[in-house]
Amino acid sequence: MNLIPYINPLSDESLKIVSQNSNLNETFEYNNGLVDTINRSSNQNLESSHVPISIGDLAIKRINWYIERKNNKNYKLSDYSYLFNKDILKFDVIAFHMLAQAVATKFNISSRETKLFIESEGSLILDRLNRLLTNERQDMVDSILKQLSITQGSRWTILKDIIDNRNLSLTNLCINNGEIILSKEDFLNAYNDKFHNRRPESMYDMLVGENLKEQIVSNMIMLNTENYIKMIKEKSSFVNIHSNIEKLGSDVEKTISEEMTKYSTFYANANNFKIGKLIREAFPPCIYNTVNGVSSGGRNDAIVLLLTSFVSYARLYPGIFASEGGVKVSDIDKNLVITENEILPLIYEAADNCTPPLFEDQPQEKINIISKLGFGMHDSPDLNHEGETKWYTPMSCEKIKMHLPQLCKADKDCKKINNPLSCYGIKKNRLIREGKIKEEEKKN
Amino acid sequence: MFGPSSLQERRRYYREEWSPNNVPNFILDEIIKKEFGFDHNGTGPNDRYKTFKGPKSLRRFLRAKAPFAAYVSVAYYQEPRRREGWEKAEYVFDVDAKDLPIRSCNCDGVCEICLSEALEIVNNLIDTLKSDLGIKNIHLIYSGRGYHIRILDPDMVVAGTGLRSEVLKYVAGAEVPKSKFSNPNSINNTYDIPHFMIPIAYPNVFTQRVKYDILHLKGNEEIDGINPKLLKDVIKYRGYLNNDDWGSFKANIGPRRYKDMERGLAKVNLSTIDAKVSIDLKRILRLPSSLHSKVSMKCVEVKNRENFDPLKEAVPKFVYERKDS
Repeated sequence: MNLIPYINPLSDESLKIVSQNSNLNETFEYNNGLVDTINRSSNQNLESSHVPISIGDLAIKRINWYIERKNNKNYKLSDYSYLFNKDILKFDVIAFHMLAQAVATKFNISSRETKLFIESEGSLILDRLNRLLTNERQDMVDSILKQLSITQGSRWTILKDIIDNRNLSLTNLCINNGEIILSKEDFLNAYNDKFHNRRPESMYDMLVGENLKEQIVSNMIMLNTENYIKMIKEKSSFVNIHSNIEKLGSDVEKTISEEMTKYSTFYANANNFKIGKLIREAFPPCIYNTVNGVSSGGRNDAIVLLLTSFVSYARLYPGIFASEGGVKVSDIDKNLVITENEILPLIYEAADNCTPPLFEDQPQEKINIISKLGFGMHDSPDLNHEGETKWYTPMSCEKIKMHLPQLCKADKDCKKINNPLSCYGIKKNRLIREGKIKEEEKKN
Repeated sequence: MFGPSSLQERRRYYREEWSPNNVPNFILDEIIKKEFGFDHNGTGPNDRYKTFKGPKSLRRFLRAKAPFAAYVSVAYYQEPRRREGWEKAEYVFDVDAKDLPIRSCNCDGVCEICLSEALEIVNNLIDTLKSDLGIKNIHLIYSGRGYHIRILDPDMVVAGTGLRSEVLKYVAGAEVPKSKFSNPNSINNTYDIPHFMIPIAYPNVFTQRVKYDILHLKGNEEIDGINPKLLKDVIKYRGYLNNDDWGSFKANIGPRRYKDMERGLAKVNLSTIDAKVSIDLKRILRLPSSLHSKVSMKCVEVKNRENFDPLKEAVPKFVYERKDS
């Protein structure tokens, strides 16, 4: 059996499977072949709630699996063993494509639903590779790299999109004269004479090896999935959407909403990151300086990019980095009362403190602020527009040092952290311990 | 030289010395897509959104206005007058001699020594851009007080800020390289290999940058994360690095303090370059061929980067004719 579609649902082989076997009318119909495959999956929990009976069910279970695996400490692999049964390949590829269509037609490209679907695909790829035999796994990765045109002599810039979105670090790659080195043969050709006290073969295994190749495969397929969704989205305005795809889109929305509500509460309270009133005394130096007004270069970025994301997450979802995202403002602030009465006033106050005041000469920046909260390009937050843009996560310290070096005056709390939100958590906890925060300020 | 130019001197420069032939072709070839900006009185580039149809109109403007400073956008626009229709942007490294975090001289602004060190740094950056990353179409500009590396590589001109900052980190040595590696034959076993034991790829770039830093330390630098005692010891034992004996150097510093040093010098490497300029897709930069009036030096394209001497090739004629020269 050709296993490539098991890992790459966008390969030519996969598209062939979809064109030969997919029938949208049967999306939610009982599928004997699917159920039979699941029943034959080793260690599978066969309770009916864990067994998808149609391709539509399987698509939803793919999303369920990802959220559970990522968030549920008591996650059981046996509930989803069929996802790692190679015989599921044909059904799984069709489910992937239906899911892509449903997500593309129902959600915006920067929505958390789209992001979650793409991330789930990357995660599934790595988990599946992990369960293959070593030789099978290596052959599979090499074949897919070849399909992705990442071969001997490829320029590193073939990976520029996944480097640009920081899924892959340039400093972890071996690049020689602009060519990315992935095979042992190329590594030895380029660097054999550089190592004197170590075996070049061992150095290859450590510096490049299978892990890096698998990371590239997973990230490239995620990128291609995103591009595929964009393409469907463009075309969807010219064609009628099948009612089963619309239903699948609604099911995805419901599933993600239910699951994330469950886990956002859990993670917001994880690791001592508690939702609560903003404590200005706990702001890290860069935020403190921004709130007091930025007088020279970087004023717009400081308010729109740095402060907006920091204040909104600090107030609504300080545990964002523990939970790896996937949350909307309205998951926590359901009627946007906190956003309108606490978050935006603080941002606008800081904008007024700038020299010259930000909105005096650039009133359009108000729209940019709303867009960074995830509510699209509008002048006020509205639940109907949520998801049109992404809720920006707070800038990392590294990014602040590059973008806004004048604001970074690191203090002792900054030393062990890499994001101002973490620094805020440290300072806030200390103030609580020292009894310097009043009881009512701690509460939501 | 290194003193400001008078309005008369600026007029003389633009009428007698300035020529469109000294404007690099990468600007002239698509001049209609570039935004120009001017500083007419030394208060900053307030006169922006200017466009020119060709070298003749640029020449007329410069002769008439004799600006204090002239700038051109790194971006190419469909409508540069409104900064709309962004098509691409040069990728830039800005190394200013006066802002070098480690430099051998004691001057307040710029001098021959720090200018020479800035040139050494940009040469190192260009070598890595070419030999490691295979980046092409690189132009080096002497800005008057430092250097601009202006890159028109087809992949980089359309790159977003994420990619630009990743390349910056790689070339500058601004990140401590990964040192923990998993053992492919044993899941629970990891190796700890310091950067200097990996003589290839990014760890090698980092090693070269850190070595440069250490060998140029004077001992009075204030480096985040490196306390005076550590700084003193780094200088005390740096002789080992002349023979690339990093093992002895690290042993004398101690493993924990060595990590502090690595982190501190990675930050130094980042601050050697003005990172804001590199990741900005719409910035304006000093126009090559124009006059840097604050220091009375010409901003010129460097043709031979190994032997370039700004004091020979970037001094306007009027400086030699000053009474006090």
